[in-house]
Amino acid sequence: MNTSPLLGTIVFLPLFGALAALLYWHNERTCRLLALTVMLADLVLVLFLFTLTPHFREPAGGNWLRVEDFSWMDALGIRFTLALDGISLMLILLTTVIGALTVLISWNEIKEHVAAFHFFLLAMMTGVLGVFLAMDVFLFYLFWELQSIPMFFLIGIWGHERRIYAAVKFALFTISGSLVMFLALLGLHLLHARQSGETTFALHQLIQTSFNLPLELTFFAAFALAFAIKIPMFPLHTWLPDAHTEAPTAGSVILAGLLLKTGVYALLRFAFPLFPHAAQLFTPLLLILGLTGIFYAGWIALAQTDLKRLVAYSSISHMGLIIVGIAVWNLTTLSGSLLQMINHGITTSALFILIGMLDERLHTRRLSDLGGLWKTLPVWSGFFLFFSLASIGLPGLNNFVGEMLILIGTFTRQPWAAAAGFIGLLLTVVYVMRMLRESIWGEARISPGIADLTGRELTILIPLTVGALWLGLHPGPALELFGTALTVPDLVKGLPILTP
Amino acid sequence: MTIPFTHMLFLAILLFVMGAACAMTRKNLFLILIGVEVMLNAAGIAFVAAAMRWLDMNGQIMVLFVMTAAAAEIAVALALIICFQRQSGSTNADRLSLLKG
Amino acid sequence: MKPVLFLLLSFPLLGALLVSLIGRHLSRRAVETIACTAVAASFILALTAFLLSGQKAYSLTLARWFAAGSFQVGLDLYYDPLAAVMALMVTFVSSLVHLYSVGYMRYDNGYIRYFCFLNLFVFAMLVIVTAGNLVFLYLGWETVGLCSYALIGFWYEKPEAANAGAKAFVVTRLGDVAFGIAIAICWVTLGHLSVSGIHDSAAGIDASRAGIIGCFLFLAAIGKSAQLPLSVWLPDAMAGPTPVSALIHAATMVTAGVYLLMRFFPVIQASMPLMAVIACVGILTICFGALGALIQKDIKRILAYSTISQVGYMFLALGAGDVAGSLFHLIAHAFFKSLLFLGAGCIIQALHEEQDIFRMGGGLRQKMPQLFWLFLAGTAALGAFPLTAGFFSKDRILLAVFLQPQAGYKLLWVIASMAAMITPLYAFRLFIIVFFGKSQSPSGPAKASPTSVPDVMTRVLWPLAFFSVFLGFLNLPLNWAGKEWLAQYLAAVPGSAMELHASSKMESAMQLGSALLTIIMVIVACIYYGTRVESVETGTETLLSKMQALFRNGFYLDRLYQTRITAPYRAAAGLLWQKVDAGWLDAGLNQSARSFLTLAETLRLWTTGRVSRYVSMMVAGFALILCSLTLAWWYLLI
Repeated sequence: MNTSPLLGTIVFLPLFGALAALLYWHNERTCRLLALTVMLADLVLVLFLFTLTPHFREPAGGNWLRVEDFSWMDALGIRFTLALDGISLMLILLTTVIGALTVLISWNEIKEHVAAFHFFLLAMMTGVLGVFLAMDVFLFYLFWELQSIPMFFLIGIWGHERRIYAAVKFALFTISGSLVMFLALLGLHLLHARQSGETTFALHQLIQTSFNLPLELTFFAAFALAFAIKIPMFPLHTWLPDAHTEAPTAGSVILAGLLLKTGVYALLRFAFPLFPHAAQLFTPLLLILGLTGIFYAGWIALAQTDLKRLVAYSSISHMGLIIVGIAVWNLTTLSGSLLQMINHGITTSALFILIGMLDERLHTRRLSDLGGLWKTLPVWSGFFLFFSLASIGLPGLNNFVGEMLILIGTFTRQPWAAAAGFIGLLLTVVYVMRMLRESIWGEARISPGIADLTGRELTILIPLTVGALWLGLHPGPALELFGTALTVPDLVKGLPILTP
Repeated sequence: MTIPFTHMLFLAILLFVMGAACAMTRKNLFLILIGVEVMLNAAGIAFVAAAMRWLDMNGQIMVLFVMTAAAAEIAVALALIICFQRQSGSTNADRLSLLKG
Repeated sequence: MKPVLFLLLSFPLLGALLVSLIGRHLSRRAVETIACTAVAASFILALTAFLLSGQKAYSLTLARWFAAGSFQVGLDLYYDPLAAVMALMVTFVSSLVHLYSVGYMRYDNGYIRYFCFLNLFVFAMLVIVTAGNLVFLYLGWETVGLCSYALIGFWYEKPEAANAGAKAFVVTRLGDVAFGIAIAICWVTLGHLSVSGIHDSAAGIDASRAGIIGCFLFLAAIGKSAQLPLSVWLPDAMAGPTPVSALIHAATMVTAGVYLLMRFFPVIQASMPLMAVIACVGILTICFGALGALIQKDIKRILAYSTISQVGYMFLALGAGDVAGSLFHLIAHAFFKSLLFLGAGCIIQALHEEQDIFRMGGGLRQKMPQLFWLFLAGTAALGAFPLTAGFFSKDRILLAVFLQPQAGYKLLWVIASMAAMITPLYAFRLFIIVFFGKSQSPSGPAKASPTSVPDVMTRVLWPLAFFSVFLGFLNLPLNWAGKEWLAQYLAAVPGSAMELHASSKMESAMQLGSALLTIIMVIVACIYYGTRVESVETGTETLLSKMQALFRNGFYLDRLYQTRITAPYRAAAGLLWQKVDAGWLDAGLNQSARSFLTLAETLRLWTTGRVSRYVSMMVAGFALILCSLTLAWWYLLI
């Protein structure tokens, strides 16, 4: 079982890179190259995992593709346990790809404190990767905090005008959520220790804890609160538009592409399996909040004047559908939600990247200043149209498959919720149409002579385009990875709905 | 002739309260310091009395510790007061309100 | 069969990809050649498939698409006589429109975008036609919507074009919500999504369930086919280039809704109430479109309203259970309406983008004689002039409605027949005003003499005109010693085996009657519109002018949606954001965070910075601790 610490390397390579980047504080270019190299190396390692996948199925014992378990703080029962299954594999692939892209995105945008920027960026990557791989709940909590803190600095130092407000808001929301979760986590640990006599934070052991219902409900609520803030779920979403609007492009991309996903992932990996009965009782609430989020954010998005804010609200709306998929909890919706996490990571990141590129050229993101961009920036507009269409779920592009799976799966159990979800997709069309109408179509208001996308920018966008098409036309392999992971007993204990 | 334990305890309490009252009400830093010293010595008397009462030398040893600590403390405190007096030309404790929230 | 169908689909897609990816590095001629060749090759393959298929139905899978749990979707194809006829029509008309576009777009710099989306459209339309399951069909369905959006808004710098594109996309997408729900219901109740599977299980399901599925499919069809109440997008869609209007908004895409219902007709058929609803929506739309077309001034808007009306006939036919009749009219309409649109495109370009029929100055008959005859063929077919394609197809629909046993259908028949009298009226109104109109039009002086248009633009109209006139012989009625070839060919398609049991005497009587009525109406149109100039609205509010305004504005349906739905929705979005999200939710959460700050402000008053205060506090604290300890001790002892 304890083979080479491959997963550990993947997780900590960015952190080492982060420290190394600090050493080159005097040479910006070296810093950037170093960060890029580190992320690319990490990506190569993750791809290497893909090639090894069949071999590791056997020795890891069926459920997991790979498990790495080291003793760490034995007295407290904390172990350094990383494990990989299909879900984690796809998510760390997304993480490393987006990580590499964010370095490229920031190439020209970030001009001050370059070393510190890359330090925080890479440190956050370690946090995110850790969240997706940790199977020791305490370790998970550490990574969970590690991913939030650098984001605070990224927004607060390199953000736009109201950056301090946004950064503090982000920090207050996330930290207050995760502190509550930490309390519940300790309570769970102590309860388990009292029941079994073992001090442990291992997920697969904590799952066996038995509760009385009020306690289980409390614990689930505490966990779900932390994750709901991160997702963000409907009434707790107000930090997101501010954070997105004020963050530098790389920050927005990581926020939309990765941090929001950690919330859903944690809900799926920790909150539901640990507290299955409570989760089932909470299902109607989650369903309603998810649906409300779709409509509420989709509606508000129509009124936005700032492109980034518009996409931020669209992001909340999309996450609402993913929550619906998780709440319904059957194989079809879960596969759909997981796929939709990847899809949303690609599509929304791409939109934020494109808006960032526009901002670099025009120094405005206000819709009223734009118009007729197709004339001046045809290539940019082509990409913008493409990803906007992906975002409204055009069949053949990535989001469609996820949405379809979620809604079809939901329909088998909650027809009205699914019907509402279909109508919710219409709201997406309305605001995306308005966004396109006022940005790329219409009379050209931008003076010509602005250069279209450069080679570096195309390098950023083409992988995302390929990803969108690939997941739209051939999502089979990804769904297969999810499918096998979702039938793992650990994940679904106490939730008898799932049948292979 | 032995003084009753309670009498000694009363003396200690009396001294302690007087010291505390001095430390609380005075504004001159020196007088506050004197009050603190009186309180420390009141505690010392209580220790000695307890040592006599239970015939345990630990109490007397403790007094030695307290006296040492008090000497060290008074040295540092006097140094600080002199420093403060040089800066502000006063030994009024109320002017020393940098920690005000 | 598989390679043929695969290539049939992949040529236009490949064309679109090539044009979009490397079009910038190619010459204009090369781009045009690629686009046209791709579609022409597709036509040849459609013909090959048609000849090879021999009335059989083929179900095949090109590739797997996605699967989760038991839910599986592949890129499946289903090719049967219905698909064969549609594929032939689509590729044929598309090829001609592509060729026409080479001429029409000769000065436009956006030709790469144009041909890319036009090719992509052909691909998507063929996907709709040949898709073997609902989800794959949905792919085509949405992609034609995208192409329609992009091509309506092709001249994006004109605000009305950009708005019309977005409007068309959103309104048709409203129908697609129903499509999505239909897919879900099919999956949950029938357990599969394949066309053949749905055909098979249609026989076994009860009427109510079939009605629900059919109802959602019908709603989807309403959106795409611009039927009431979702018809508002089609007149605006005329902001796009004219060839696009001809191909997408007349010949093919708007009939996709009809095709969808034909494709799943066994399900529709199982529910009589649904059939009645379809027929009623059809008849309402026929009247709506016909009255709208009667009064418009813009040549393209006349044709657009006419399209709405003609598609209504197809729905009426389906409501009467006559798939073959519906398809017959669909094909005939595709030819004569694309002919009319393309002809209108020639006129518009020749007259320097003039679209108002009253400002065309008349006299085009001498200046464009070739076009005169072509347009006459189209007008005659549209007006159902005896012996043209439109005559036979419309008659078959009326007969099918008449033969339905229920009493309500007789009423529908009466209304449909009356509406059929309006058709020649507006068709010949258009024709006469454009080609014979008085040049002393009050709206302004006539334009300068028309310029010539490229030969290719008129040449491609000949085949269309030929079919508009002679396509009727494809499905000659039985009393004409015809064989009803089309109906026979479709006989094997599930749901379409409908025989019209009419005595040949009655059939002849009806044909004679409608022929007479049509000729009368044509004469009326010639006299009425040939002699008088359209009255210009004055300030007076007569009943007639009110009616005219009502028809011209499409019964104010558009305005109704604007004021009752769109505007409130937009306003509510702003309110929701400013008042609820920012003003209430966000402010509330911020306030709760700020309450900690207030608490801290209060607490810091304790910190006076005075040593004596600190000492007092400390002493008080100690005293408190001591007291409580004593109390506790005392309490424990007692």
